[in-house]
Amino acid sequence: MLELYHGEPNLFSLKPLIVLKEKNVEFVSHHVDPLKDASYENRFLPNDEVEMNMEGEGPILVHDGRVMTDSFFMSIYLDDVFSPMSLRPAGAEAHWRILAGAAGFGQLLGPAVSTLGVFRYLAPVLRKRGADSIKAVLAARGFQERREGWTALLAPEDPAELIEDSRRKVGLGIGKIEGILANSAWLAGDSYSLYDIDSFALTHCLTSLTPDLLNQTTAPRMMNWLERIRARPAVQAALAMSLTGKPEQAFLPGPEHSRWG
Amino acid sequence: MLTLYHWEPNANSGKPMLALKEKGVAFESHYLDLLNFDQHSPEYLKINPNGTIPALVHDDLLLIESTAIMEYVDQAFDGPQLTPSDPYERWRMRWWMKYFDYYFAPSLSMIGWSVFVGPSVRERDPDELRAKIDRIPMKERRIAWQKAIYNTFSAEELAESGRRLDLGILKIEAVLTRRPWLAGETYSLADANAYNTAYALPFSRPDSCNDEKTPHLMEWLRKIYERPATQSMASMGRTTLVSRMALLAR
Ligand SMILES: N[C@@H](CCC(=O)N[C@@H](CS)C(=O)NCC(=O)O)C(=O)O
Repeated sequence: MLELYHGEPNLFSLKPLIVLKEKNVEFVSHHVDPLKDASYENRFLPNDEVEMNMEGEGPILVHDGRVMTDSFFMSIYLDDVFSPMSLRPAGAEAHWRILAGAAGFGQLLGPAVSTLGVFRYLAPVLRKRGADSIKAVLAARGFQERREGWTALLAPEDPAELIEDSRRKVGLGIGKIEGILANSAWLAGDSYSLYDIDSFALTHCLTSLTPDLLNQTTAPRMMNWLERIRARPAVQAALAMSLTGKPEQAFLPGPEHSRWG
Repeated sequence: MLTLYHWEPNANSGKPMLALKEKGVAFESHYLDLLNFDQHSPEYLKINPNGTIPALVHDDLLLIESTAIMEYVDQAFDGPQLTPSDPYERWRMRWWMKYFDYYFAPSLSMIGWSVFVGPSVRERDPDELRAKIDRIPMKERRIAWQKAIYNTFSAEELAESGRRLDLGILKIEAVLTRRPWLAGETYSLADANAYNTAYALPFSRPDSCNDEKTPHLMEWLRKIYERPATQSMASMGRTTLVSRMALLAR
């Protein structure tokens, strides 16, 4: 039995959804909204990897009783366990390229895109609804860092410095992706791979979230790469799982920005 | 041709060093003195423009990101398998390496830079230090060096790092109570990764990490310390950092 607990198909939740659709694997989808069902995670506790989920409100995969978090590592697991159609080119070099790339973009873009998204779309809603709206989710999350991800959204004003730094990181990330695509059609080389899925999931919302940073002038190759990925039937199918019709506007508290280094 | 650019057998540098030693792969060691800012020299920036260590050069391929390098080493070379054969344990190996890389190690490193790296360089000529800071390519690393040199860590951030470490020590102890190694039944890259961050805990957090409070964590550290590969890695150390490993001798 394969089950995925996920939110709207954006950022972290989007990755395993695309992988499952690409590989054409049957699974039970649990579309969860922590603001409506704050304690859905409790059925897995105690579980360190769920409780300390470093992606904040990221997806949870359950395969025959094995519970997994971290959207990229669960995607590797899915690729390992379900064949055919490998999403990773063979060889140690490609393996390194995918892991190093996802680690770098995960640290740079994961927190930055989440920050820009939650303050644009989620914080205004929560501020209007007031502190009570997140009471249940705070009570259900044992890990202090995850509670802080939520409470930060209730501050009366947006954190200007953090948003500026997030824009800087997003700009850097776009430049890096554009640079890689100057040398190869896909991020890991000649073929579409988990590296593309991982980076697409983190960046496809940027055409609407930060259009001044990502557009035909600043990053034409990346725009073309996004189009090529969006056109894939599996990606269309994953995006079509949205309940709101606007997955690129759905954000939940994500990973922390690095505190050191 | 295989060349590793590294500093002490510690933290990020130690990760590929230990993986190479466990595999039994011969490599050329290129020691960069972090306290002498060798990693920002124009020669090294030609190899790794980020100005960070470690970097591995295999023929004409340049590899960065210490944890990804470990996985490369395990796949590219013969020798003992350092990745579990079960896909779920492989997932767990990666999850715990990320926990160390993004959560535990940065907290320890922040404290380490305030008590070791900063004091080691602070007394040098102020103009020279300013020039060294100016040529650091990455903003995050520039901030780190400024904090270390001018000792501008806030009490809150150091306390927060300490809180995370003490909590993390309890988590690791709990995990090692359930299974012998971080990923499962076999020694894996996760243990090699974590050891390079955790070996000095009995020295740096003696109240939290000791035989009474964390017997499983202590036993795990000693078992890794005793491995021939770890001993061989430790012999590559040049500063007092590595002497802290000797506290693990039975
Ligand atoms: N994510 C990188 C981080 C590399 C890194 O920042 N290394 C530190 C040493 S542990 C460094 O090079 N510091 C040099 C400096 O700050 O000047 C990795 O895992 O390799």
